[in-house]
Amino acid sequence: MELSAYAQGGWRLLGDPRRFPRRPYAALLRAAFRSLLDHPQAGLDDPDLKDIDPTVLKHCHAAAATCILEAGKQKADISAISTCLEDCKLDKERIEQFCTEYQKNKDALEILLGSIGRSPLHITDVSWRLEYQIKSNQLHKTYQPSYLVTLNVENGDSGSHPDVSFSCTMEQLQDLVGKLKDAAKSLERATQM
Amino acid sequence: LLRQLNKEAVQHGVEGLTYLLTESSKLMISEIDFQDSIHVLGFSDELNKLLLQLYLDNRKEIRRILSELAPKLPSYHSLEWRLDVQLASRSLRQQIEPAVTIKLHLNQNEDQSARVLQTDPSTLLHLIRQLEQALGEMKTNHCRRIVRNMK
Repeated sequence: MELSAYAQGGWRLLGDPRRFPRRPYAALLRAAFRSLLDHPQAGLDDPDLKDIDPTVLKHCHAAAATCILEAGKQKADISAISTCLEDCKLDKERIEQFCTEYQKNKDALEILLGSIGRSPLHITDVSWRLEYQIKSNQLHKTYQPSYLVTLNVENGDSGSHPDVSFSCTMEQLQDLVGKLKDAAKSLERATQM
Repeated sequence: LLRQLNKEAVQHGVEGLTYLLTESSKLMISEIDFQDSIHVLGFSDELNKLLLQLYLDNRKEIRRILSELAPKLPSYHSLEWRLDVQLASRSLRQQIEPAVTIKLHLNQNEDQSARVLQTDPSTLLHLIRQLEQALGEMKTNHCRRIVRNMK
């Protein structure tokens, strides 16, 4: 796992007890994780950080965030992370603190990273309506069942999106369900391989 | 023979015939009702029989055309599916994310459209369960009773 020169510089500062005593170090780690997983400003108002020079704080926060994201992206294990931080002259205790915090947040980080990217609209749910048509102004005595199906879809980036609605007859719905069941059976067979 | 009639007569004739057949088909009137309706026109028996046959022969097709005029949403045409496994992305490596990609073909007023959608395995099973429930509804006593009483 490699970090850029800028990030390594930030970590060297983080490893320096004169610039970053123990409590601010812990506070910065927490802030870095929270700002990635919760919202960008989270944790930066921690009182333990108020004595740190703002430029240094910015540099170190960026370095920590970069390391977290890179580790998450590569699915790096503890030894890879440790080696990387050793190269930045961090002592064992500080490396361990980071790794512990990383383990705690690993799953959430993975979910976050996995959700970034383009993909087709994602179906999240379906609703349906069954109606029995009696007549229209153009045609009387139609007497047939009809289904209205709405697929709720979500766009990965922007959340909700107009749903996909369509009508179908009973036969068409049977065709649709049949095909979905084929896909599900195929999926089951694939996972058993 | 048609050349001997004037233009207006032909036009009225066609319009009248169209109206007769369309209205009769729309209302789905019985043979007897149809015969009673045209009786007042005072045509010959032969012509009445011809008109009745014309009605019965074309009724289904006329109704099919009329059904296209009703307000409607896009309707289902067909569906294609594909299984995918996402292995990596720019932001995350070493993934194993199964997904089902679906191409849904819909019709609306002569136009066909295709929507590409995706879902995950558990949502797929949920969709199947929900839509099977939907299919089952027509077989319930409630729906059967209504269908019986509507005819």
